[in-house]
Amino acid sequence: MSIDFLAGLVGLILTLLIFSYLIGDNPLFRLATYLFIGVSSGYAAAAIWHYVLIPKLFNPLRSSDPTQLLLAVLPFILCFTLFAKLLPRISWIGNFAMAILAGVGAATALGGAALGTLIPQSLAAMDMFDLRGLDRAQAFARLVQGAIMLAGTVAALGYFQFSASRAPDGTPKRNAFFEGVAWLGKVFIAITFGTLFAGVYMAALTAMIERLSSMINFIRQLAGI
Amino acid sequence: MRVITATFAIAAGLLVLLGYFIDADVVRTIGSIITDWAIIIGAFAALIGIINLIFVHMEKFRARQPGGMYSVILVLALILTTGFGLLLGPENPFMRLAIDAIIVPVESALMAILVITLIYASIRLLRRRVDLMSVIFLVIAISVLILIMPTPIGQLPGSQQLLDFVNTFSRGGARGLLLGIALGTLLTGLRVLFGIDRPYGGN
Repeated sequence: MSIDFLAGLVGLILTLLIFSYLIGDNPLFRLATYLFIGVSSGYAAAAIWHYVLIPKLFNPLRSSDPTQLLLAVLPFILCFTLFAKLLPRISWIGNFAMAILAGVGAATALGGAALGTLIPQSLAAMDMFDLRGLDRAQAFARLVQGAIMLAGTVAALGYFQFSASRAPDGTPKRNAFFEGVAWLGKVFIAITFGTLFAGVYMAALTAMIERLSSMINFIRQLAGI
Repeated sequence: MRVITATFAIAAGLLVLLGYFIDADVVRTIGSIITDWAIIIGAFAALIGIINLIFVHMEKFRARQPGGMYSVILVLALILTTGFGLLLGPENPFMRLAIDAIIVPVESALMAILVITLIYASIRLLRRRVDLMSVIFLVIAISVLILIMPTPIGQLPGSQQLLDFVNTFSRGGARGLLLGIALGTLLTGLRVLFGIDRPYGGN
C-alpha cells in the first residue's frame, strides 16, 4: 500500500465523516474534528520547536560568543517563567514574559495599523481624485467613482460613532445629521458584507468541488476505471 | 510588582516602536532583538497552551465527562504527532502524510460544508429579520454570485461593468471598515503602551 493511497483513503473517510454534519451534529463528525484538532496541534508544536525554538533559542544557547549567549539566556529564563502561569498561586511570575509579549504586540499592531492601513488607505482614497492625464469623460467617471467611495468610507466610519446626547425623555439620541450619515453607512456596510459573503461562498463552493472531485478520482482509481 | 511589569511592557513596546520611525541602525537592532524575544516567548507560550490542552482533555476523560472518549482520541493524536514531529521534523514524509491525509482534507471539507450552512443562514436571516439592510445584503450577495459565477457561455454580457459598479460601493464601505479597525487597533495599542490596559496581568 503506497503512502499516496493511504493518504487518499484516510482523506476520503475523514471527508465523509465531516460531511455527515449535514444530517446534524453526530459522533462521527466529532470523531473527525477531535482527531483534526489533535493532529494539527501536534503538527503546530513540532513546527514551533523546529522552526522557532531550535534556531532562535537553543542554537544561540550553544554558541561560544558571549553576546549571543547573553541575548539567548534572557528569553530562555523568561520562557521558563511562563510555566508558572499553569499554577495559579505563583502565576504572577509569568507576568514579566507576558508584559514583553503584550508590549511588543501593541507596538507591532500600532506600527502595522498606521503604516499598513491608515496611511495607504487614506492615500488610496485621495488618489481617486487625481485626474491628471485623463480626458474629460474619464475624469468625470473617476470623480463620480471617487466621490461614491469617499461617501462610503466616511459614512461607514460615521456608523460607528456612538456619541449621543440625551433626548427629553432621557433616551440617548444622535442628532439628525449623524443619524442620516449612520443610516447611509449601514447601507454601504450591507453592500460590503454582501460582496464579502459572495466571495466566501465562492471559496466554499470551490472547496466543495475540490473535495467531491478528489473523492470521485480516488474511487475511480480504486475501481481501476 | 504591577509597576515593574508595566515598565517591562512599555519599555519593550517603545523600543520596538522607535524602530519604525527612527532611521538608525542601533535603534533598529534593539527593536529587532526585542521582537525576536517576543517571537520566542510567543512560541513557548503556544507550546504551554498545547500542554494545557492535553491536561484539560485528560481531566475531561478522568472525570468521565460527556464526550470523554473523544478527548482520548485528541490526546493520542496530539502526542503521536508531536512525538514523531519532534523526532523526524515537520518536513519528513510521515509528517507530510499527516497533512495530506488528515489536516488538508478535514480543513477543506469543513470549508465545503459552509456551502450548505451559509444558504441555511441566509434563509434564517430572511425568516427572522426582514428589513431593508437584510434585503440589500442578500440581493447584493446573490447578484455578485451570479455575476462572478462561471457559465458554459463564459461571462454574462455586461457583468463586468455591473460588478465594477457594485464594487465601487463595496470598496467604499470596506475602506471605512478597514480604517475603523486600524483606528481601533491604534487606540488599543496606545492604551497598552501608556499602561492604561494591562493584558499581561496586574489589572
